[in-house]
Amino acid sequence: MPQTPLVEISDLHFARDTRAIFSGLNMQIQQGCVTAIMGPSGCGKTTLLRLIGGQLIPQQGQIKVFDQALVNISRDKLTQLRGRMGVLFQSGALFTDLNVFENVAFPLREHTSMTADELNDKVLLMLEAVGLRGTKELMPAELSGGMARRVALARAIAMEPELVLYDEPFTGQDPIAMAVLQRLIRSLNDNLKITSVLVSHDVAEACEIADDLILLGRGGVVAQGSPDKLLNSSDPLVYQFMHGQADGAIPFHYPAPELITELRTTKAISSLQTSTQTHSSESH
Amino acid sequence: MLVNCLQSLGQWLLRGLGGLGGALIMLLQSVTVVPGPRGWQRLVQQLYVVGVQSLIIIIVSAAFIGMVLGLQGYTLLVDYGSEQAVGQMVALTLVRELAPVVAALLFAGRAGSALTAELGLMKATEQLASLEMFGVDPLHRIVAPRFIAGVIALPILVVIFNLVGIFGGHLVAVDWLGVHSGAYWGNMQAAVSFADDIVNGLIKALVFAVLVTWTALYQGYMCEPTSQGISTATTRTVVYSSLLILGFDFILTALMFGGL
Amino acid sequence: MAKKWLEVSVGGLLVAGVVALLALAIQVSGSHLGGSNSQYQVSALFDNAAGLSPKARVTLSGVTIGEVTSVGIDEQTLMARVDMAIDGQVNYLSLDTSASILTAGLLGEKYIGLSVGAEEDMLVDGDIIEDTQSALVLEELIGQVLLNLGGN
Repeated sequence: MPQTPLVEISDLHFARDTRAIFSGLNMQIQQGCVTAIMGPSGCGKTTLLRLIGGQLIPQQGQIKVFDQALVNISRDKLTQLRGRMGVLFQSGALFTDLNVFENVAFPLREHTSMTADELNDKVLLMLEAVGLRGTKELMPAELSGGMARRVALARAIAMEPELVLYDEPFTGQDPIAMAVLQRLIRSLNDNLKITSVLVSHDVAEACEIADDLILLGRGGVVAQGSPDKLLNSSDPLVYQFMHGQADGAIPFHYPAPELITELRTTKAISSLQTSTQTHSSESH
Repeated sequence: MLVNCLQSLGQWLLRGLGGLGGALIMLLQSVTVVPGPRGWQRLVQQLYVVGVQSLIIIIVSAAFIGMVLGLQGYTLLVDYGSEQAVGQMVALTLVRELAPVVAALLFAGRAGSALTAELGLMKATEQLASLEMFGVDPLHRIVAPRFIAGVIALPILVVIFNLVGIFGGHLVAVDWLGVHSGAYWGNMQAAVSFADDIVNGLIKALVFAVLVTWTALYQGYMCEPTSQGISTATTRTVVYSSLLILGFDFILTALMFGGL
Repeated sequence: MAKKWLEVSVGGLLVAGVVALLALAIQVSGSHLGGSNSQYQVSALFDNAAGLSPKARVTLSGVTIGEVTSVGIDEQTLMARVDMAIDGQVNYLSLDTSASILTAGLLGEKYIGLSVGAEEDMLVDGDIIEDTQSALVLEELIGQVLLNLGGN
């Protein structure tokens, strides 16, 4: 039985200043899956998360989350919708003036009216899920980067959202921290039936935990499918990205006139000529 | 070429007006909300950061300025045999001009730049975006208590500045230079009017408080979320605040004291 | 613990502000707590009120008892009319009180000095002082001196 996708984006156009980031993007994210959104730098991955979260408004097109259109939505409805989403920002974004316990308790204090005991238990359970119950008294400045992100994750899931967005969770993490996060994302998805959408550069990590990969490029979706499907794709851009090649569909060299026309010293010109001669003789 | 100049001037003006409009909208959106019970706690917290932590620099500056006024005043007046008038000179200079202006400039440098940097850093580390995603309006939660705290704190600091400065002048003029204490206070009391001088000085302080705090918060809220952006915003806060203070000081002085 | 100190210090700041304001009011501007606000109006006509401005002091035997509220032209007599607000407790100014415009010090401001006469009836609100001594104008003084010198 086909389910309505949790997130449905149709014909999205979004530009920042004069640069068009998306032109006619179409995308669907299925419920219960871990979906990884990948793409070269500047293709708009973080922007896409912001659009899904309702923080940015597209110039054209429609975004639907939980079958609710985001464009022209009322403020109250948007707040309600956000209550069903959790976001893990790239830097964790813990509130620096609150300690770990208070950070995780924040959404609960804002949106629920639990007793102090209920709150205490809920927060501790969340911290336990990410393995950081012992840090509850510490301030964010006293945590390492990886720990801060895990606390931020605990905070993001405190309200038991149906959808969690992860903005580059693996970037800049040591292998142990990465493995921990991987385990958490997967177990949250499977045990709490949360739909996870993560944005990442890391092809290896994404392939390991994602059910569905979406590759962005050229203002839209270049490829979508299971990790195996994308790894075996023959599209040059997909191939270059998935296999990490320096030169390919996205060239290594930024467009520039011929090198020989820009060199000035005879020494450099002659060394260039000898090296091109060697190359052409080698290729024969 | 002239057309280009005019065009860039026009664009600059439009951007400036746009910025002013944006700043006004930000301000109105922040303060048109009654704070809940936790709001008072946040206000007290901000009063500490903005008010109590500025006390030291205000008191020390006031003491030195008062002492310099006493010294300079004495040196200038003694040639006319009017050194007994140094009390009213120190008091009037402080109450009407120096206390509101200098305190506001120091406030802009210390508290204003701190507010901008803090808000800018919250923006750069995505804490503001985080608040939005949790359904909390950062304008109400973060900006409003800081604004109100600034508006309350600066007038209090100005009053304290006045008092410390006058006593500083007393220390130099009476204790060190031999002006008669009775003359110091007596001439001062005759010359300083509560309604015209002290209250006007406080009105200036209030106006400056609004200008400085508003500028600081706007710059922080609107800055580029990079370290470069934060540093630019902090510099802008101090520069714009200083210019606004001095400009409005002239306007207010002309209205309050020039008209008499 | 840190929270307690925070609240205490903010409270301290507010109290310090209020105390400083009171101190300014009393010590610096000489406002009186629960001051006598009742005043009555008295006017005086002068030939020349040069240099006298509103808010100038009105004194009796050197003690300030009021202030000048306005300086204008009396249209009937074409003399300078000076209105004064006198402290309500000073109700012993006789009807033939004289008013002079004096200078405080050599370069000082102008003020009005009153001198009580011998009459038994006192000035009340709205009365006019008739015995007046105008301001000393420097040019006239010099003119007088030259005249006297020339005369000798």
